[in-house]
Amino acid sequence: MATNNPLYTNPNLCKHLAEYKLRHTLTGYTSFKNCLKTTGNGRTSICRSETKIPRCCSCNGYQGRFFMCLVCSSISCSSHALLHAQSETGHDVAVDIERSELYCCLCSDQVYDPDFDKVVVSKHMMDMPNNTHVDDGIRRSSKRRKLNSLMDLDLKKCKQLFLMRDRREKSCYPLGLRGLNNLGNTCFMNSVLQVLLYAPPFRNYFLSGRHDRETCKKRSSDRLCLACNIDVIFSAVYSGDRTPYSPAQFLYSWWQHSANLASYEQQDAHEFFISVLDGIHEREGNGRTPTKDNGDCQCIAHRVFSGMLRSDVICMTCGFTSTTYDPCLDISLNMNTSNLSSVDGANKSVRPNESSSRCTLSACLDLFTRPEKLGSDQKLYCQNCKEKRDSFKQMSIRRLPLVLSLHIKRFEHSALRKMSKKIDWHLQFPFSLDMTSYLSSSIVRNRFGNRIFTFESNEADTSAEFEIFAVITHSGMLESGHYVTYLRLRNQWYKCDDAWITEVDEAVVRASQCYMIFYVQKMLYHKANEDWSCTPMSPLSDPFCPIAGCC
Amino acid sequence: MSGPNEDNLSPHTQLSSHFFGDLLDSIIVDVASECHRIAKLGLDRNLEEEEEELRLSTQARVRVADPSNSGETNSKYVVDIFGQTHPPVANEIFECMNCGRSIMAGRFAPHLEKCMGKGRKARLKATRSSTAAQNRYSRGSPVSTYSPHSNSSSTNRLSNGTPGIAGEEYSNGTLEEP
Repeated sequence: MATNNPLYTNPNLCKHLAEYKLRHTLTGYTSFKNCLKTTGNGRTSICRSETKIPRCCSCNGYQGRFFMCLVCSSISCSSHALLHAQSETGHDVAVDIERSELYCCLCSDQVYDPDFDKVVVSKHMMDMPNNTHVDDGIRRSSKRRKLNSLMDLDLKKCKQLFLMRDRREKSCYPLGLRGLNNLGNTCFMNSVLQVLLYAPPFRNYFLSGRHDRETCKKRSSDRLCLACNIDVIFSAVYSGDRTPYSPAQFLYSWWQHSANLASYEQQDAHEFFISVLDGIHEREGNGRTPTKDNGDCQCIAHRVFSGMLRSDVICMTCGFTSTTYDPCLDISLNMNTSNLSSVDGANKSVRPNESSSRCTLSACLDLFTRPEKLGSDQKLYCQNCKEKRDSFKQMSIRRLPLVLSLHIKRFEHSALRKMSKKIDWHLQFPFSLDMTSYLSSSIVRNRFGNRIFTFESNEADTSAEFEIFAVITHSGMLESGHYVTYLRLRNQWYKCDDAWITEVDEAVVRASQCYMIFYVQKMLYHKANEDWSCTPMSPLSDPFCPIAGCC
Repeated sequence: MSGPNEDNLSPHTQLSSHFFGDLLDSIIVDVASECHRIAKLGLDRNLEEEEEELRLSTQARVRVADPSNSGETNSKYVVDIFGQTHPPVANEIFECMNCGRSIMAGRFAPHLEKCMGKGRKARLKATRSSTAAQNRYSRGSPVSTYSPHSNSSSTNRLSNGTPGIAGEEYSNGTLEEP
């Protein structure tokens, strides 16, 4: 269970509990197992007798919380639990019979012990066969290996790029920053391209020359591969020339592709993003891995952007869970509009005190992973109960990608009036994001009362901490608007508005209306910043200096 | 639990108040117990960072909303970080890779559309339902009246089982809310 990213802190046992354990070892816990009563929703209670109501041994009362002594099993109410512990030595620790939580009467506090939790959880497992999806180890993708290979920067190829650099280049700006000309309503394309040009593992792959245009062309003479075109853009943008680049060739190539991809003709940046990644996969992935499981696909698009979602459907009566896994390239989030008052879309006044009506990214993620009761017309057949039951569904993230792309669903439609409108509300998003609580391991554990237990095979080799590196914003209306990308390079934010690259303060980014937000794993973010520190150049010196220890 | 005037309450009402009080107490203790566990096991350790981010976000919005701050001027006329200015419509000239004609960058897309035979008239289908138009931002521009990407194609987005997108379970692109 050792992880390098502990999902919880191991609690310290109070001295009374420690003494109890020394004396009684685990037999005390296991003897309780028979009295544990589990319910479908993860609740565990203690029930000694089916017929008798628990009563306090001191006052004979039947009200309030009851605690059962771990040693003698006598029941005390909350007022008299201390009395019992004081009157009998060694009878310090009790169990709350409603929730099966350990309670130290002398410390007057709830205490925790992983061994006790293990007993509780194993009772749940016993009562519910085939409950959790046993899948451990099978999918343990070697994330570490992937990580390292993707972040490797083979600089030999890059050297070519640097030598070609234009002398006019302003040497103190980050490499590769270059405006993209709008070819006629193509800002949706430009905004996504800027993100791809800076997504750390994606960028390193292309800059290291791993997509060889020559061999690619030879392999398939029929059509230009989308990845080749992206490679062209990379070369152009990182060439050192700072005049805006026109991605015309790419547009042409993409339109040729998109005709085949179920006629995608989009103006939506998110759709374009998915379309491009699919286009890359189509060429790169199909050739090598015929598996339909995109989670293990080795194409660069999936290696960088693909994660895995888990969907559980749980019977409300018995707790039987049916689990499915689906790969995903991004996560689309609904905005949590529930606690917002009737804010008119046009009313953009800032009300800093109304934090309760604020829309935040974590609220949207909570919404995404919250248990959702399925309608009564959607009763599912429960294999355990052997009949149709009410159930609820819950999403969680089984495996996080290297680059996490979040898409905010800002459109809203009214089926009645047959019209759609855009939700203009500001969404707060953090620059540092911790996705731990949205992982499947956390969500499943939460279903069992947050017991200290490893429910899932450890995805600990992938960290859940992310840093933001790009935001695509949309301004304007549903019918006509404009996309702009903000990129964060070495803690400076740049606004990429088609051909115009300007520096902006981070406040501008925080206050912007985000549409897509891109996070990269923290480790990769810091490594990327190291690798690409700007090197001041003089015409005489070698423009390429070894990266190790540079800047 | 005391009502406004307990003596006047019937024993029945008193009893139900009493039970209600018990239930309420039980729920409160439940929540407290749950939160206690979460806190002790460190499952909410990011609370401080989250609050900091919220604070920064609020500050940022206030600053940006302040009209006295040099706001975003019409960015089409500013100088970029490299010291360059650009015309509103990109005027780089290059050859169309389909027909070979010389085209101005800012007009390339509309040209290419006709050139490749992907004209709007060719692909325009009657909008089947409002759902077609919803899932994207259409582009109207004061400069050109054309929009290269026709509307109804987005219905394909719904039915398109693109492998890269997870199943409809999490409603990616699904527009009909239950």
